[in-house]
Amino acid sequence: MASTPGGFAGKVLRVDLSTGRTSTEDTVERYADVLGGTGLGYRVLWDEVPAGTKPFDPANKLVFATGVLAGTSVPCSGRTAITTVFPSCWPRALVGSGHMGGQFAAKLKYAGYDAVILEGRAERPVWLFIRDGRVELRDAARLWGHGIRRATLEISQEMGADCCVAAIGQAGEKLAPLATVVNSLSHSAGGVGGVMGSKNLKAIGVQGSGGVRIAGDMEQWGRLVRFHLSILGANNQHVVPAFPSREAEYYNPGSRWVGEPGRRWGAAEPPVEITGSIRDMNRIAYRTNSAAFFLGERAWKHTVRGNGCTSCPVRCHTTLKVPAVAAKYGVRDTAQGTCIALNFGRFFFPTLPDGPKGQAALEACMLGMIMADDMGIWSNYGQLQRDFIKLFKDGVLKAKLGAAEYAAIPWDKWRAGDPAFLLDLVPRIGERRGELGFVLGEGVGGPFDRWGIAEETWEADHATTYWKMGHPKHHANEDDGQCGVIINTQYNRDAQCHSHTNFVRNGLPLHEQKRLAGEIWGSPDSVDAPGQYTPMNPHKARRAKWALLRKELHDCLGLCNWMGPWVASPLKERGYRGDNSLESRFYSLATGRALDREGLDEAGERVFTLHRALTIRDMGARDMRALHDRVPRWVYEDPKGAQPFTPGAIRMDRADMALAMDQFYALMGWDKDTGAPTREAYARLGLDDVGRELAAKGLVPGGKDGGQG
Amino acid sequence: MKHGKHPPVPDFVAQAAQAAGLETELSRRGFLFLSAGAVASVAALGLCDALAAGRKKAGPPLVILDNARGVLLADPARCVGCLRCELACSEHNDGRAQPSLSRIKVSRALAYGLEGPGQGRHGAWGDGLVVQGVCRQCPHPVPCATACPQNAIVLDPDTGARVVDDAACIGCRLCQRACPWGMLVFDEARQKSSKCFLCHGRPKCVEACPAAALRFVPWRDLTREGPAPLATLSVTPGATACVDCHAPALKAPRPKTTR
Repeated sequence: MASTPGGFAGKVLRVDLSTGRTSTEDTVERYADVLGGTGLGYRVLWDEVPAGTKPFDPANKLVFATGVLAGTSVPCSGRTAITTVFPSCWPRALVGSGHMGGQFAAKLKYAGYDAVILEGRAERPVWLFIRDGRVELRDAARLWGHGIRRATLEISQEMGADCCVAAIGQAGEKLAPLATVVNSLSHSAGGVGGVMGSKNLKAIGVQGSGGVRIAGDMEQWGRLVRFHLSILGANNQHVVPAFPSREAEYYNPGSRWVGEPGRRWGAAEPPVEITGSIRDMNRIAYRTNSAAFFLGERAWKHTVRGNGCTSCPVRCHTTLKVPAVAAKYGVRDTAQGTCIALNFGRFFFPTLPDGPKGQAALEACMLGMIMADDMGIWSNYGQLQRDFIKLFKDGVLKAKLGAAEYAAIPWDKWRAGDPAFLLDLVPRIGERRGELGFVLGEGVGGPFDRWGIAEETWEADHATTYWKMGHPKHHANEDDGQCGVIINTQYNRDAQCHSHTNFVRNGLPLHEQKRLAGEIWGSPDSVDAPGQYTPMNPHKARRAKWALLRKELHDCLGLCNWMGPWVASPLKERGYRGDNSLESRFYSLATGRALDREGLDEAGERVFTLHRALTIRDMGARDMRALHDRVPRWVYEDPKGAQPFTPGAIRMDRADMALAMDQFYALMGWDKDTGAPTREAYARLGLDDVGRELAAKGLVPGGKDGGQG
Repeated sequence: MKHGKHPPVPDFVAQAAQAAGLETELSRRGFLFLSAGAVASVAALGLCDALAAGRKKAGPPLVILDNARGVLLADPARCVGCLRCELACSEHNDGRAQPSLSRIKVSRALAYGLEGPGQGRHGAWGDGLVVQGVCRQCPHPVPCATACPQNAIVLDPDTGARVVDDAACIGCRLCQRACPWGMLVFDEARQKSSKCFLCHGRPKCVEACPAAALRFVPWRDLTREGPAPLATLSVTPGATACVDCHAPALKAPRPKTTR
């Protein structure tokens, strides 16, 4: 054990499902330069999955990878990235990752692995048993067709209570692009469930008795962990409370720090009242209550507790108990979730009888969480629900579903905002029943391809919040002007980046944010308040780059980008400063490989650039600017005709955004005209092999003319 | 004296018991079955000192330990299942992040409660309640200490915590078998047992809990509450039979008393 490198578990497990052969490789030797997580996943795809591979081909690979900080006491370090050719990316599947929290990352490392590479396709349904060094493929015939809860329970019975199971439900088995992999009851990774289903792999059960070695001095390590705790806020690193407090100079009603003293976890047994200092390190878990944030007052009395990932004190994954749903709908009365997964059921209803925070809303949330996390359905960041509503309102469903199917759907319940509607609709999607269930499970590409809807229709309608390539916006111009837009152009799914929004929405007043921004990104002008936008400047481009690289870095290290980076803090005595070097300080201590902030950010840039290279290779095009980094029309429009840069307007200006992209590409060392990395950019990051291969295909600016770009 | 199944009580114990007026109790039930009340009397009369003196002479294991001065209390309703306590314990005490070495045990009850998958009504899969496992720092008879053939579970003079003397532990795992609450830890890599020693009076798990679910309080007897304890494994002074049956780990030093 003493020979294992610090931070890394040390081995990557490779499982060929076609042959049943398993093998391991040395993580550090092979993957240290790409850190782990998404970096490891991109590297496997680059080296081993040829361009043009379809998501459900046996040649596609599915890489479950965590990072050096997972499994340790570093706060917010419970993440696993699952990288593959991403099925819901439309019209052509490209590289992408789903991300999950829960217990999987830590357990995998305790078993001795930083990652699992799954390749090929099993002849029959199997599940993967991992107990420390023992790895087996076991028969999953009896689990196939069942939900995630059943599969997880039976595997836990076989392995023991302390295993962690990551499983797919019916949606994944039936190759729905909108399918999740779910571990620990409710921690889901979107979009990747169908790939697992295509490999006939029902689940991975993992149990580990080992540990993660910290290479550095343990006293220093302990001090750094305590420091990190001291600069934490609530979920999304909101650093001021949502309520006035004598202990806080500022408060902001938009903050997710809703745990005001006097509030109660009303469904705890006995109920737990929040008391004491809101700044107490031993009360961080009471700050966040996702259910109360989204559903308001009513949620408190149904709150059992905050749940969440291994080693995270923030507990954004609220456990709710609502006995009424058991009585009314015949489902369990307890469920848990965060953000969009928590809202899965509620978002299907345009109106609810007692409003968006009423009892029906709560019940719809409960039903949605329970059903979606059992069948393994992904909402595509709420796009599924928005599409459903739009398709109905536009008359598409009536026109495209057969008369019998249409008539069989209880629309009266939907119109009435009766949560029981979900009992009909959700299984259609999970089991891909009928035209409706099949098409919705495809993602936005379903209606586009099968029902002949033009993508422009979605791009023009702000209500869809559709961005491009089959996915919606994810913290774009509504939060962060040009930075948000740049960030949303870069990925092949919704951007999943929170680095930027965790700062601009942290609750501090603008003058404090601007002061911090001056220190971090070189100018106070790098930040605008949401909806109070100013024209583009190079400092914003710098912040956009920083946000993207940190997002990628977090996905490589096992850190949570829904919390980090931690560049602001609740500490007035620190001038609300956080620590921009926190990740590198942890990385250096954990691994014993000293890297300063610039060094680690460069590794993040290497990984991010590898993602870019994979996208270019698989699109067979180098003109990313025109073909990939697109911005939907609604971003440039305002329903009331407000002009750009006027107070309250979130619409952007085309010329200004073009300048924004110029500045961003320049900072990345990418070609301004095409947005493709240059040979020099690849070489600078140690990706010369990648640059050379792309140049040979004419996919590097100035390279031989062979690409379509 | 008739001792039933028990081997003869060493002379020094008999003498000490006689001095304390406990010879009848001793002869009737055997040394290890002294009642708690009797232990108090023994302690008051300085019997422990007498026993300690005897131990130096003959080297048999001693199993009477003074009560601890502190104990951990855990509130399941507050536990958020983050496992920061387990990580703090193993990082601080073992120098690595390894919950399987943690002396506070939460992972095992996290998903299904202590009853496990299928039966459990607690844990994230049940009602959400996570019941933490903490060492009760048992009063006499201390099951783990009693079971140890090496007398390797001893009193920390500062806290009164029952601690494993690493040098004396031979890795036979009898303590693990003996604890009614499954609180002993076995480090497979080192082939050594370990248990909660209250971090010398500043428990790291308490410090690490983000939900104030753990408290370090003056000791009280928690063994009378909760599930019925398993039968206490006992080792009688002077006996080496357990070591003979339960072979010590090959890596561990041979016990000094082995013939």
